[in-house]
Amino acid sequence: MEIFDFYRKDRWPHVFCPGCGNGTVMNCFYRAFNELNLPLDKTAFVGGIGCSSRIPLYISSDALHTTHGRAIAFATGLKLSKPDLKVVVFTGDGDLGAIGGNHFINGCRRNVDMTVICINNNIYGMTGGQASITTPHDFMSTTTPYGNKEYPFDLAELAVAAGANYVARWTTRHVHELTKTMKTALQKKGFAFVEVISQCPTNFGRRNKMADPTQMLEWFKESSVRREKVRTAAVDHFDLNMAGQITIGEFVDRNRECYEELIGVEKHG
Amino acid sequence: MSAAKGEHFVQGNEACVEGAMSAGVRFFAGYPITPSTEIAEGLAQRFKGTNGVFLQMEDEIACISAVIGASWGGVKSMTATSGPGFSLMQEAIGYAAMSETPIVIVNVMRGGPSTGQPTRASQGDVMQTRYGSHGDYQIIAFAPASVQEMFDLTLESFNYAEKYRVPAFLLSDAEVGHMRGLLSIPEHLRIVDRKEKGIKRADEAYDVPDDLVHPFPTFGKGHKAMVTGMTHSENSRIEPEDVKTHQELVTRLSEKILKNRKDINKWELVSPDSKTMIISYGASALGPKEVATKDQRVGLLRLKSLWPLPEEPIFEAASQCERILVCEMNLGMMYWPIRRIALEAGCKKIELLSKIGGEPPTPSDVRHKLRGMGAI
Amino acid sequence: MKPVIDKRLCKGCNVCVYICPKKCYSRGADISEMGYYTAVVSEPEKCYNHKREGKLICELCVLSCPDQAISWHPETEEELKK
Repeated sequence: MEIFDFYRKDRWPHVFCPGCGNGTVMNCFYRAFNELNLPLDKTAFVGGIGCSSRIPLYISSDALHTTHGRAIAFATGLKLSKPDLKVVVFTGDGDLGAIGGNHFINGCRRNVDMTVICINNNIYGMTGGQASITTPHDFMSTTTPYGNKEYPFDLAELAVAAGANYVARWTTRHVHELTKTMKTALQKKGFAFVEVISQCPTNFGRRNKMADPTQMLEWFKESSVRREKVRTAAVDHFDLNMAGQITIGEFVDRNRECYEELIGVEKHG
Repeated sequence: MSAAKGEHFVQGNEACVEGAMSAGVRFFAGYPITPSTEIAEGLAQRFKGTNGVFLQMEDEIACISAVIGASWGGVKSMTATSGPGFSLMQEAIGYAAMSETPIVIVNVMRGGPSTGQPTRASQGDVMQTRYGSHGDYQIIAFAPASVQEMFDLTLESFNYAEKYRVPAFLLSDAEVGHMRGLLSIPEHLRIVDRKEKGIKRADEAYDVPDDLVHPFPTFGKGHKAMVTGMTHSENSRIEPEDVKTHQELVTRLSEKILKNRKDINKWELVSPDSKTMIISYGASALGPKEVATKDQRVGLLRLKSLWPLPEEPIFEAASQCERILVCEMNLGMMYWPIRRIALEAGCKKIELLSKIGGEPPTPSDVRHKLRGMGAI
Repeated sequence: MKPVIDKRLCKGCNVCVYICPKKCYSRGADISEMGYYTAVVSEPEKCYNHKREGKLICELCVLSCPDQAISWHPETEEELKK
């Protein structure tokens, strides 16, 4: 299907800022979905609150735009009430890792069959640029005007430790790898987690000397390094601090039983 | 597998489980919290061999969120909790009201505020049920006073949630939840299912006009439903900035309930012609009921539904009596709206028997208060 | 095939200018109806997909464009002759 059969053409141009990485992720997602020939009317999309959480409302299918941080919990109920529905969650770093942290790690642990795409722009973009739990140390935001004193979460590593069946991280600079990973994630049984480091030039880049989206993309390219090459103990990752290094690649691909198998849920229509 | 017909001797919470099973509940997400835990445990057992799904989630916010998500999959879903968990659920309850998702929440009230008295009864959450989430919305809430009513009103909660696409609440408490008594499950039960978009069926829900309650676009059926907590219009346009859209939407969310008070509200009357009327609900009404049954001078209006506020029966009772005594297990919550209505109806003396600490008002407590009022 | 920018969708972010390995795009100098300095396809003949049919060799611009503003169109008779 054409891209504007997949997306709701009547809602274009979308509200995302010029240069926003969300649009890039949407392209890759459409490609992956389309290449797999998945049925759009048997797929439901769930989002929390934030710029990336609005993506489900742009897709021409059933969309559940929920409360801040709770997308995975809503998606769990939706999926288990209708197991033959494919469920995809779009969320952001703050939505998933801050307010949604508990649902995130329990979602990985429970391993309900769903695909979760976390678009990590290292900031709370929609509300104007406050620091998030992935804002790198020393970086500027509206709530850290003297530099962020905290250190960031590594969301992908959290997902690995919490038990997700599939975990991968790329950036919006890596569109081919991202598309391929999304195909894998969509086909994976169990909790499939894809983290995409993405540019928010308006509310992150602009305050950190990277107002131009192309500057942020170049920064992603320069900072990215394959996880296999630098894998060290989890505690060391904190020092790596996204500003210095973004580990990318497929982190884990395993086959723990998904929750539906564990509870023996019959497919009810 | 619905409950076996006939007579049972069970705990209030167990009767609630049976009521839910009879209604056709197929999704439950709960978190352990005294004194509601038996409901979660009961459904965890009863769902076996059915296609019902039971989940113990990581916290109450996850529970209520999962329950709403499940409803969009087209199934009847519920959760059960008590005060502290109920407080956590408020944001999502507002979401359910705004997105018009049929769900049932059982609150087995306990002593509050905060951790309070986990094993003792109270009626401290009755206002929170109505006003707990931010913004303007209406909900439906029932107050059972017996094991039988734990069954009946759980079933009604489902029926009305489905009919009006609204969160419905069963406001029980530690006394009614844990008391044991007779449960009689009749042969025929009135069961209402939500009206679905694109389907026409003979069901009570279809009697409600579409412009008041829109047909439900179940996920997975090609409706391309856009469900959101943001202000939205008829054709699912998301319009948070539009004044008129917001006015129309939020007004309709209230109207659909307020216009149907007659259908929703339930109450019981004992000696309605008495000069003194006690108005009470739930466990608080047990003592008053005994007094009213034995003493002709005193009548009782026992509210079986608390929200939407049953203005009409309260007005009716107040206009025919000289004094009113409100009994509740809090420091005065339903007392205030009841007082307002009673004054409008011309009744000048409205008093409150407020009992907190965990014990429902006993017949002695009630008689003592009535003597003080000069009623007996 | 040649890339075409939909000026009603382009927000002038210039990611295409940056990402294209053959430098087919450049920053625009004119304001569009929507109020953006939309990018321009300045050298389409450098594109890997120039005069190609069937499977395209490179789609970095289309995949990267945050506004879905770029799409592939077959070259016109004249363009093919050049």
